[in-house]
Amino acid sequence: SDQQLDCALDLMRRLPPQQIEKNLTDLIDLVPTLCEDLLSSVDQPLKIARDKQLGKDYLLCDYNRDGDSYRSPWSNTYDPPLDDGTLPSDRLRKLEIDANTAFDQYREMYFEGGVSSVYLWDLDHGFAGVILIKKAGDGSKKIKGCWDSIHVVEVQEKSSGRSAHYKLTSTVMLWLQTSKDASGVMNLGGSLTRQVEQDATVSDASPHIVNIGKMVEDMENKIRNTLNEIYFGKTRDIVYGLRSFIPLGDMKKQDALRNDLAAALSKRSAAQ
Amino acid sequence: MADFGDPISDKQKVAIASDFILHAPPGEFNEVFNDVRILLNDDDLLKEGASGSFAQYNKDQFTPCKIKGSDELVLVTEHGDLGGSRFLDPRTKQSFKYDHLRKEATEEQPAKVDAGAEPWRSAIEASLTAYRDQHYKQGVVTVYGKSSGGNTTIIACIESHQYQPKNFWNGRLRSQWSVTFPESGGGKAELTGVIKVQVHYYEDGNVQLVTSKEVKQTLNISKHEKKSTKSEEQTAKEFSKIVVDAESDYQKAIGENYLTMSDTTFKALRRQLPVTRTKIDWNKIIGYKIGSELKNA
Repeated sequence: SDQQLDCALDLMRRLPPQQIEKNLTDLIDLVPTLCEDLLSSVDQPLKIARDKQLGKDYLLCDYNRDGDSYRSPWSNTYDPPLDDGTLPSDRLRKLEIDANTAFDQYREMYFEGGVSSVYLWDLDHGFAGVILIKKAGDGSKKIKGCWDSIHVVEVQEKSSGRSAHYKLTSTVMLWLQTSKDASGVMNLGGSLTRQVEQDATVSDASPHIVNIGKMVEDMENKIRNTLNEIYFGKTRDIVYGLRSFIPLGDMKKQDALRNDLAAALSKRSAAQ
Repeated sequence: MADFGDPISDKQKVAIASDFILHAPPGEFNEVFNDVRILLNDDDLLKEGASGSFAQYNKDQFTPCKIKGSDELVLVTEHGDLGGSRFLDPRTKQSFKYDHLRKEATEEQPAKVDAGAEPWRSAIEASLTAYRDQHYKQGVVTVYGKSSGGNTTIIACIESHQYQPKNFWNGRLRSQWSVTFPESGGGKAELTGVIKVQVHYYEDGNVQLVTSKEVKQTLNISKHEKKSTKSEEQTAKEFSKIVVDAESDYQKAIGENYLTMSDTTFKALRRQLPVTRTKIDWNKIIGYKIGSELKNA
């Protein structure tokens, strides 16, 4: 039921994201009727698979899954093979190939490494797609880090074909873990989600890939800033609010001294 | 991953429900409980099979509780569990009944504490409460003492939390410090501690910090002097010093990690801008492909 799906999604926003996969599996076991809805609406850390035909890595998600098989964006075939796996239309596959090439370059310019994949599927009056990027850190300074981008775009083409409405829902997952003597085990992880919609002209100078590319780039840059603020600013400030490093008595003394100084200064300026 | 097999039994469902409840972030028990209740869709089953998890959650979290006859709050922990939903407050020598869902204390009664351990327990309690005053604006300290087989064991629990659901965040710190030594005192003993911090931020997302650290230090136990509490006070002073230093070092180390994570690890995952220092020229991006196609034609 709708209410159960809302509760399931609320639960996924509260349970530790470090156990997303286990939480999702347990949730589906608990309410099997929500299985398809949950798999398509809960973001999970991206898994990597190898396209053995072309020797290239690609990313797995619900949008390139059919049953237990996943489609590679490079060879457009399923692994394990399927006779009748869902494929994009010919026109869309051409666009999908171009999109993968474009976002491969985007990935290299911003991430300098990692893996990307783009999957498109047909809609009644347009198409939709997901742009995935995964980048793992090199573990230097004893900290393991990983970034997962999941950008879902919905494109409604206007009948004239000269403009379209784009809706982008982006989730970025950021995972950081360290285990050291002085700080013990420290695990800072999770995700932020944002959404944006806009209309844009569709033309030779401004085809879909350019419109989508700009939206994704702006969105990811914004989210990167927010991740920086939330992860390394907000959560750290919350920790500092739980325990005061400086003895509170000393802080009271500092405050009292500050107040005395302020009072003395204002007395002096009043007298002048 | 897509094949989930046969439906699971009620027993397995209740186990999942309990596990979800045990993992509720600080301050969000009610929301997680309500979600689980609607998903399980069987109140009798929930009450029968998962009520143990409500109690376990409160004890794990060192839940602070207000009781009559005390200005200080007391922590609900496994060490003060007297059975039958009653818990001990060693500070005011009372026991109380605790409602795990309403989070309220009732039926406060006088209670006995371990007489042999009491001089050590109350000295450490006084010393740690003073530490709490200096470092935890809203913290709670509960110290337990027990004697067994000629040994005294002191377990000290510290808890501090901040709930700001209107700003979509909650956080809690818990630490537990234990030491066991011969009843008459003297010699050295191992003081072991564990410090845990959990923070949950959930505005348009779900970000959590989960950290824990174990500490082991040697504590000098002063020899008990008849008709004097000097040795207990001396031991308590050293006990607290170890706790202050360890918790401060830990807080400092967490801060240093934050700095390294943001300056090094995060920067290496994704640049702010490409090396060109400008945003991407998307027409150029799709143009390159056409260019290379023409070359190969």
